[in-house]
Amino acid sequence: MNTKGRRDLSRRELLKRSAGVGAGVALGTSLPAWRARAATELTMWWWGEQELPGLQAFVDDSVKAYTAATVKPMLQDTAVVISQFQTAAASGEAPDVQFLWNGIYHMESVWLGYLQPLNGLVSDEVIKASNPTLLSNFGGNTYRVGWYPLPMIWIYNKDAFDKAGLDPEKAPGTWDEFLIACEKLKSAGIAPVGGGIQDGYWGEWYFGHALGQNVDSAGEVIGLFTGERDFREPKYHEHWVKLEQLQKAGFLNPEMSSTELYPGIDLIVAGKVAMGLSIGSRVPADSKATKGRIGTMVMPVYGKAKLAGQPIFDSQGLGIPAKAKDPKAAAAFLEYLQSPDRLKALHEQTGWIPANTNFDASAIEDATVRDMWQRWGLSPNIPYLSNLVPGQFYEQALLPSAQQVVEGKINGEQAGELAYNVAKEWREFNPDIVENYEKWAADLGG
Amino acid sequence: MPGRGHHAARLEPDLVLKHGLLVLAALIALTPTFFMILTSLKGQEEYTFNKVGLPQAVVFDHFRNVLFESDFIAWMANSVILAAGAVALSTVVSCLGAYAIARMEFRGRGLLFSVSTSLMAIPPVVMIVPLFVLYTQLSLISTYEGAILIYAGLITPYSVYLLTSFFRTLPRELFEAARIDGAGDLRILLRIVIPLSMPALLTLVVVNALYVWNDLLIAIIFLQDDAKRTLMAGISVFQGRYNDQIPLTMAGMVFASAPMIILYLAFQKHYIRGLMAGSLK
Amino acid sequence: MNQTSRFAPYLYIAPLTALLLFVFGYPLVRIFEFSFKMVRGIDGPWIGLRNYELVLNQPLFWESVRHNLQLLLAVPFIVVWSLLIAVLLYDRLKGWKLYRVVLFLPYILAIPIIAVIMKKLFQFNGPVNEALRWIGLDALALDWIGSSDVALWTVMMLIIWRESALGIILFLARMLSLDESLMEAARLDGANWWQRVWYVIVPQMKVVMEFYVVTSVITILSAVFAYVYMIGGGRGGPGTATMVVELYIFNALIRTSLPGIASAVSVMLFLVSLLLIVPLFAARRHANEEETA
Repeated sequence: MNTKGRRDLSRRELLKRSAGVGAGVALGTSLPAWRARAATELTMWWWGEQELPGLQAFVDDSVKAYTAATVKPMLQDTAVVISQFQTAAASGEAPDVQFLWNGIYHMESVWLGYLQPLNGLVSDEVIKASNPTLLSNFGGNTYRVGWYPLPMIWIYNKDAFDKAGLDPEKAPGTWDEFLIACEKLKSAGIAPVGGGIQDGYWGEWYFGHALGQNVDSAGEVIGLFTGERDFREPKYHEHWVKLEQLQKAGFLNPEMSSTELYPGIDLIVAGKVAMGLSIGSRVPADSKATKGRIGTMVMPVYGKAKLAGQPIFDSQGLGIPAKAKDPKAAAAFLEYLQSPDRLKALHEQTGWIPANTNFDASAIEDATVRDMWQRWGLSPNIPYLSNLVPGQFYEQALLPSAQQVVEGKINGEQAGELAYNVAKEWREFNPDIVENYEKWAADLGG
Repeated sequence: MPGRGHHAARLEPDLVLKHGLLVLAALIALTPTFFMILTSLKGQEEYTFNKVGLPQAVVFDHFRNVLFESDFIAWMANSVILAAGAVALSTVVSCLGAYAIARMEFRGRGLLFSVSTSLMAIPPVVMIVPLFVLYTQLSLISTYEGAILIYAGLITPYSVYLLTSFFRTLPRELFEAARIDGAGDLRILLRIVIPLSMPALLTLVVVNALYVWNDLLIAIIFLQDDAKRTLMAGISVFQGRYNDQIPLTMAGMVFASAPMIILYLAFQKHYIRGLMAGSLK
Repeated sequence: MNQTSRFAPYLYIAPLTALLLFVFGYPLVRIFEFSFKMVRGIDGPWIGLRNYELVLNQPLFWESVRHNLQLLLAVPFIVVWSLLIAVLLYDRLKGWKLYRVVLFLPYILAIPIIAVIMKKLFQFNGPVNEALRWIGLDALALDWIGSSDVALWTVMMLIIWRESALGIILFLARMLSLDESLMEAARLDGANWWQRVWYVIVPQMKVVMEFYVVTSVITILSAVFAYVYMIGGGRGGPGTATMVVELYIFNALIRTSLPGIASAVSVMLFLVSLLLIVPLFAARRHANEEETA
């Protein structure tokens, strides 16, 4: 009679079995699947479909397939990912699983007591493999598991390089080589470098890439905000000076100020701009669209500090709020999402890769993507420094400074001055957070 | 006829100048709409080289996209729910209140009316911080009821003002006659006052519905859930998501502005009257 | 007037009072309270005037205020342009009704829609600049959206474009209710068109103009959020060139999680708006008097 029902049941069994297979993954519950389903309900607030189309399908799929609990996902609006979570947590209404951007974006919630450490809830192996990065640590605990990676990269258009007489397989490594390449590109009539900064985010990316050239650790960067170190010191605003240099030399594309971030990347993909900032998750589509003529590179090096010239690796993650009703159940779901089956599903449904280092990289079809994963994800890398920036600084100095330098309105030194002043304002507006920043430096090698 | 005589007495260059200015003003008024419509019919590639002219190859894909694959219809539905709910609530509350203020005597009548009317000058943004915090505590964020309550509150001072003014113009004899017949206050309100106030009520409904429909600030803050997003908030999300696809974005804009444009062209006089009344806030 | 019961009125105003207390009363009291606290999430410790101190010493705050004031420059333009066009329509030239339909169109489109269209139109390599370059006016092809110097003027252009549509209709309606005989008399006296406009029409428009100026000022100080949010990329960009007080409050609440700061600024904005209640009432009273005269 009920053939459909029987088929469903065996599918559920199959999924349960496959979910339990895999190195070091334990479901954390010993109840039979059907009983557990009735018992636990988990709410999950998440984000990412905006950045990674197909993620919604993955979430819906995972939720449907997960039998140990009924998970209710809710996609948040970009503008309120954090504030919505924080106000809910403050009034005891936080979800059971929360999407967390890296660094300060979730660390603030940790300090406010809204998140709990994952150590002890999720197995150490799983946490480590999932790649939460250094910036998810505080006081010796880790507060996120990684979900999907965000290699922070520079890209270049190989066809544009060809046109200018540059070697398309060899991106400039040093700043001098870079400037020479820019000259050649400019002579060939191609905008050498840039993208779109109208919505501001390009400034954030640039900071993350360039500040590191003069810095030895993430902890050193913390000092710039706590007042220990000063943005007005040349090495701490040299990156804006370099940007000013590019602007004065006419190397930036002229529509940069009125183009948004992603349309700006499109300009590079279209060959109108030769080099610029991008993000790993775009590479599959861009590589496919240009039939492999997009290359990835690290920012050309001018600095001599430890973090100069290193690939930058960031990841989006998930965590468990402090007052979650059933942290163990939430942790079980998080571990489930790291199972090989789920990792594979994420790849299939989004075309992107999971952050987990156990992911079978041979499934990646595109050579550029595979190479990028190898160099950024599976090799030594450094954290994305812009994730250390406090919100007020982000809004009032980080984005505006780069925008104004690109416009030619202020120079690099003035940008440093602005940064110093806003950092100072931030300290005055948020004395409680400054204390926590100082503690955090210890986890970040500062 | 004065008009005809006017016409003939004027010098030619004068007339040309005047028409010219009006044509210029009309072009300025129309250009964005033209651009929106023309661009929505162009293919993505065509737009990159043909930004200004007519579409060389008319394309309807973007509309199909917007209609079937975007959330525009859901967003519009949400806007309708909020507008209807807020207007209904506010109208009921305002009718009752205005009737009392206009036609009854009670302590604090003048004060209530003055305060209520003064509230019209207060920027809505001033209210959002405490309401946001309160709503988070009461779990009213991203709920229809919560947002409807706020919208209703924001449009009520104006409604009370308009209705009170109108009710006051109704002849006293009407009420006295009804009372002699033995009608109570509520009866009078429902059977006599409201039917007579239909023009004013209609204007009120139009103005208030437009206010809620067009609002962005409250929508972004208090309806954060994807499922409850309104049209205006949705537009913000849509243009951000597809900011590299200008024709598609324009198709979305066409779709979003269509209801209002159609209503305007069909009911010009009422529309204009309503908006003018709304401006007198 | 007779009433059936002494308590009936209170029942009638109860819903109204409750609603107003909830949406206006409660928040207006609480913004004062919050402004004296360092609020994190839903409450925080008392810190006295510290929030005010911080805000009043912050360049960004004053920049926001300056920008609102700069936008007020739009008001004279709106009034003059609306008056001019209304006068032209009043002449009832051939096709004036069609013009009227078209000229009101800008006000029909919601602000977010218009802002999105404008943002694409005025991109550096967008249609407007392309057209300008094509006819040789390269110097006018500014970075309308991307330049800190120009962006706020672009927002102002948009505000003028949209708000003057309302002005045109408002002024025209008033003109159409004027006594024609005065115009006739002036014409018979030999006054030319311009003189008739300046000496007959405009004086009778003073009340409406006063009213429109007051409401426009209120709009610019308290209802430009949508313009700025959509054009400035959601954060008052480029840089902070289009930051206004409303957006400052929004950002403080939603983006930097500082409800106390947001409240302090809300209090100040509230107090300023109180100042505008008086002219608003006066203007409205004059308008009513004129109507009933």
